[in-house]
Amino acid sequence: MIITPKILARLVVIAILVVLLQLSFFSRVTLLQTSPDILPAFVVVLGLLGGSMSGAVTGFSVGFLVDCLVAGTLGVTSLVLLGVGYVAGLFRERFEIHSSLVPPLLCMLLTLAAEVGFALVELTLGIDAPISDLVLRDMALKGIYAFFLGWPLYYGMRLALRAALVDEPRVERRRQPTVLGVR
Amino acid sequence: MYRKQVRRRRAVLTLLILGSFLLLTISYGRGSGSIQDGVSTIFSPLEKVADRALKPARDLVDWFDKTFEARGENSRLSEELEQARTEAVAGQEAIQENSQLRKLLELDRDPVIATSPFDPVTGRVIARSPTVWHSSVTIDLGSGDGVVLDDPVISGDGLAGEISAVQPNSSQVQLISDHASAVSGKVLPLGVQGVVRPSVGDPEDLVLDFINSSKRVSVGQTVVTSGWRAQGLASLFPPGIPIGEVTKASVLEQEASQQVHLRPFADLANLDMVQVLTGGPR
Repeated sequence: MIITPKILARLVVIAILVVLLQLSFFSRVTLLQTSPDILPAFVVVLGLLGGSMSGAVTGFSVGFLVDCLVAGTLGVTSLVLLGVGYVAGLFRERFEIHSSLVPPLLCMLLTLAAEVGFALVELTLGIDAPISDLVLRDMALKGIYAFFLGWPLYYGMRLALRAALVDEPRVERRRQPTVLGVR
Repeated sequence: MYRKQVRRRRAVLTLLILGSFLLLTISYGRGSGSIQDGVSTIFSPLEKVADRALKPARDLVDWFDKTFEARGENSRLSEELEQARTEAVAGQEAIQENSQLRKLLELDRDPVIATSPFDPVTGRVIARSPTVWHSSVTIDLGSGDGVVLDDPVISGDGLAGEISAVQPNSSQVQLISDHASAVSGKVLPLGVQGVVRPSVGDPEDLVLDFINSSKRVSVGQTVVTSGWRAQGLASLFPPGIPIGEVTKASVLEQEASQQVHLRPFADLANLDMVQVLTGGPR
């Protein structure tokens, strides 16, 4: 991704809008008693579009903003989301994305990883209260919601950041298909 | 060139990780308040606008969710479902708000609150934390409305939580389903006391700890705040605010105590209007 001041401003505005959308809409609706979480999916999408650095920096910034707005423990969300963004970016740098299923699948897997990450960090910091089994269901459902939300998010962000994306050569039909970059 | 790029990338990543740990350290040193207050103050007007703008969309999703859940239930609920549909289709958002405000007003008139030094202020939830590990909501009341740290927060149905951070125009409420929450409560009519703690991940379940087994608690009994006062110290919560209803009570033989589960009266997953009890004893 080519980051110009204009693109940076656009990214900042989009990130703020996504955080507000999460806190004022997605966190406050429940589907099957679980609220969707689009923040890991958003960070994954930026990692996929911009690479590991864009993913990590976006994850850190989005996490910092969320922790400030919900008065959570500063650093928890930043740490988890920067990891998620970095991994998504590494995937983008090492493998080619041949299928349109890859972004939503990565959104799902890395949202699950983020939920596990939150749990690990919180447990490391210490939780006195008992933990319900429903936490597992909540994690699984958040992952499934991320799959469906990852799709529009990926294509929406591609459209919004089109000017900044490095053009990739179209994959020709004659070329041998690869699995995760391995011939 | 490539190596330089890799080195730079590693440096940025290390900086970000160190930054996260630094924030965690600051947070645990209780020095993060001013950072969070500053950011919250800047963003609270935007949150209010987003809350208003997204309310119809939230109501629509809630309607689908409630309809989906109700389909699997028996005919006893069909009347309620019909009623919910009628309300949703008519889009009478005002009716819903009105009923919540009425409930809050009824709780205001409750002799417990009416005779206490608390001054209730009504506010609206404008944002909610995205993770089950940190259960909090942001409301549109701040220090300008008389809200201070640790003020109790109630919904029309019962206790919702306490104020955990205050900015001029908004505040954060730590819900009773947050892992750090602990409220002293007593079971009516027995009067046995304990500490109400959450069950992380399940907002419909709270646990009453430290309860003596000499008096048996039974399903259906009500738990209210105990509002203790001793040696110049007083509970943050006034006595008698409904917390929840006992759903399960079992004796733990080895620990000579009872394991009591309760369902909170307040609908913590769908809070919309709340009341902050300001001006309480400090």
